[in-house]
Amino acid sequence: MTVVRFQNVSRVYTVGDHEQRALSGVDLELEKGKMIVILGPSGAGKSTLLNLLGGLDSPTEGTVVVDGQDISRLNRDELADYRAAKVGFVFQSYNLIPTLTVRENVDLVREIAPRALDTAEMLAAVGLADHMKKFPAELSGGEQQRVSIARALAKNPEILLCDEPTGALDSETGSAVLKVLLTMARTYGKTIVVVTHNQSIARIADVVVRVKNGTVRSVEKVASPLPVEEVEW
Amino acid sequence: MRKKLLRTMGRYRAQFLSMIVMIAIGIGVFVGFNVEWYTIERDTASFFEKTGFADFRVLSETGFSEEDRRAVEALDGVSAAARWLSVNTMVKDDADVLALTVTEDPAVSGFLVTSGGAYDAADAGGFWLSDRYAEANGIAVGDGLTLTYKGLEIAGTVRGLIKAGEYLICLPDETQLMPDYTAYGFVYAAPSLLERVLGRAFYTQINALSGLDKTAFSERVDEALGRTMLVLSKDDVVSYAEAMGESEEGKTMGGILPVLFLGIAVLTMVTTMHRLTASEKTQIGTLKALGFRDGRITRHYVSYALTVGLTGTALGLLLGWLLGWYLMNPGGPMGTYLDMDDWSLHAPPFVWIVLAAVNGFLLLVGLWSVRAMLKGTAADSLRPYVPQKVRSLLLERTRLWDRLSFGTKWNLRDSLRHKARSGMTLFGIVGCTVLLVGALGMKDTADAFIRLFYDEAIRYESRVNLDAASVSAADAAELSERYDGDRLAQSSVQVDGAFVGVEVYGLRSGLVRFVDTDSNFIELSDDGVYLCRRIAEAHGLEPGDTLRFSPFGSDKSYTARVAGTVRSMTESVVMTEACAERIGYPYVTNVIYTAETEIEADARIVNVQTRQSVLDSFDTFMQIMDLMVVLLAVAAVVLGIVVLYNLGVMNYTERYREMAALKVIGFRDRRIGRLLISQNLWMTVLGVAVGIPAGIGVLQCLLNALAAEYEMALSLGWATFTVSTLLTFGVSLLVGWMVAGKNRKIDMVEALKVPE
Repeated sequence: MTVVRFQNVSRVYTVGDHEQRALSGVDLELEKGKMIVILGPSGAGKSTLLNLLGGLDSPTEGTVVVDGQDISRLNRDELADYRAAKVGFVFQSYNLIPTLTVRENVDLVREIAPRALDTAEMLAAVGLADHMKKFPAELSGGEQQRVSIARALAKNPEILLCDEPTGALDSETGSAVLKVLLTMARTYGKTIVVVTHNQSIARIADVVVRVKNGTVRSVEKVASPLPVEEVEW
Repeated sequence: MRKKLLRTMGRYRAQFLSMIVMIAIGIGVFVGFNVEWYTIERDTASFFEKTGFADFRVLSETGFSEEDRRAVEALDGVSAAARWLSVNTMVKDDADVLALTVTEDPAVSGFLVTSGGAYDAADAGGFWLSDRYAEANGIAVGDGLTLTYKGLEIAGTVRGLIKAGEYLICLPDETQLMPDYTAYGFVYAAPSLLERVLGRAFYTQINALSGLDKTAFSERVDEALGRTMLVLSKDDVVSYAEAMGESEEGKTMGGILPVLFLGIAVLTMVTTMHRLTASEKTQIGTLKALGFRDGRITRHYVSYALTVGLTGTALGLLLGWLLGWYLMNPGGPMGTYLDMDDWSLHAPPFVWIVLAAVNGFLLLVGLWSVRAMLKGTAADSLRPYVPQKVRSLLLERTRLWDRLSFGTKWNLRDSLRHKARSGMTLFGIVGCTVLLVGALGMKDTADAFIRLFYDEAIRYESRVNLDAASVSAADAAELSERYDGDRLAQSSVQVDGAFVGVEVYGLRSGLVRFVDTDSNFIELSDDGVYLCRRIAEAHGLEPGDTLRFSPFGSDKSYTARVAGTVRSMTESVVMTEACAERIGYPYVTNVIYTAETEIEADARIVNVQTRQSVLDSFDTFMQIMDLMVVLLAVAAVVLGIVVLYNLGVMNYTERYREMAALKVIGFRDRRIGRLLISQNLWMTVLGVAVGIPAGIGVLQCLLNALAAEYEMALSLGWATFTVSTLLTFGVSLLVGWMVAGKNRKIDMVEALKVPE
């Protein structure tokens, strides 16, 4: 079942007199419940793809339909509501609120997400039940990323969007984080879209989308993805 | 590096502008009030010197002979002495009063001619009239003028228009706050005119120029004249005392208000410079890595402080000079009070030292800020600035914490994490409230003062001044009977060597009432005397104590029980006629207060002063008061907006990533805006709660320092509290709304790319 559909999507940025085409005529369909990895070198347009999908940005041309809803023409408030209800974000730099504890960081999505899941359950699921009262600065990078995953999933979104989720982590911690991410997504039946330039991560994906120079070069279904434990980088 | 300086200033323009504005306001207020008092001191001193303002006045109601004058002039330490007379006369066919003044020596207590003919001692038909009175009444050089005094008519021609040091502040008595040249002025005449009218030379004062102190001068005069004389030093004369009082008030204002503004300016600078260098820490690291020496980088960042300091100082000097000029020009607030020839502005030398010190301090602030970021290696500097670690609050251990919304928790922790920023915000709000409460409270207090004294305590329509030298007790009784009035006998006595007035009242019609220190009306008891608050405080006297006083020119002394304390504009001891008779104190009625407005001409009556003329003189006073209220309220709003906007932008910048994260999670712009505004509102609640009592305290200090002579009682209406609170919240909401509107522009993608 298709959950995401990009139709002839372009994104052009204007910097002074100069136009920069980040995406050009992208057509892409992603299936529900899959682990999708978008691969590409720096500047290929993969983050732009993710930002459009996440409602952080709007296309210059074309439409983006998520779960039957065209999000490319939504206004600011509608986009905010879309982000609150439909997508969860996991960033390379975690982006936790430093003045809120672990529990409060996850709890805050309850203020906006209509179908939020239980905070304690989410934190227990990512193995941080004992760290709920700590502040982000008191946690390791891997732990902070796990809080970020718990926060993203606590909204109970349709899609989990991850931008270089292991980019700031060492191999071992990154592997642990990916495992949590996959386990959680599969437990709660979520579609995961991971953007990375790390080829190794593509080996655990159900679908690999290769992007270069603002266009989708290939969409490859992986017949038998490797378990996370077997992947190294 | 110069381009970087300009670009960085452009990027942080809100912060730089607010620092410059705060420093300019702080220095402007500091320079303005200091220019005011120093100009008063310098220009009045020069005016007094030019007009031969007397250092001492020897008084005698029976007059002085030429021998007496020579004896005083011959005293060691006296450079000149002149016989002098000043009597209040009425302008014929008019209610105006002119103080007719004659000096035997124009070099002593004389005047400056501003237009018309020079003074001629032999001119028996000439008047030299106050130019301000002439202007207010449309009188020109060459016009005829007829004065009446005790039934005598004194006619002459206006030869010249003048200003005189003795009438620098031209008030008929202490009950009037401001000069009113439409109704009261002064006129000089030559001794020959006096002799023509009186048929003899009659002078009640010898005015002297002398560098002696009052005690030494008094002792030598008593010895030379062979009797105890009433001597007034220049400190006892309204013109000098009030001018110096104004100067002191300027010093106080120049001390209190600038401290508030400069304090906020310097604290804003400390906070902002630290934040600025912290946010540029990686750039500092880059410069180090590129090979720039610490000294060069330090000079670059210190140049921000220098630019801010010098620009703020230049603007502040301009503002201060304008404020000084506004206060000290013939058409300005002081021009309605002081009447002098030269209004050149002067700044006290220490102003330049303070300005240099402020700039030096700002440089140190810049130095301190960049030094903290330069510590360690280039690699250390390249690591982004990490703000203070978040710590758990005590409140988190209570159940209340769990009930708080995410926004409250977020704001509370942020406020405590960034204590300097929160403290400054609070300081700005407190300052705004203090100024508003002070300004509006000052108006309330002045209104209450005038209402109490001039609407409620005073019920007469006319004050009839009698000639004490020729009015008998029977005359006074007859006149008070005729006009159904209350009687007053004024005299001067010494209490512990200090010169104070005595007022003996014959109250029969209830036209004059007295107010105790709690502002309640009281009936004077015949059992003792009442002291005004200043005398009671100065001599440490309380009800039940005994007061001892002695009249000038007499060896006798009188004792009386202190029955109570009253609020009075005149520094005097108040008693009833029955009390005076009981203690044996002699008195001669010289004033009748009456509800009548038509007073028949009578040789025993010197002049008549209407209540309306006193009330009219308040118009100018109240206009100045209203202006001060507006100025202070504007200053409060500017202060609030500048400080809060600067800190609001700082708050916004520091929480940019957090707000971007909230937006990504799905928080709407308006919701995030409300979170920012709510932090401001919490600070405002706290700031107003502290600011209101602090404002009352500051107002009380200002009243003690500036208006002790009026014995005003602090009086603040609910409207003051309501308006101050609403305006402070209004400023806070406005700034909160301005800053909150910025979050629409947050670029989520860019914001979240930056590494933590």
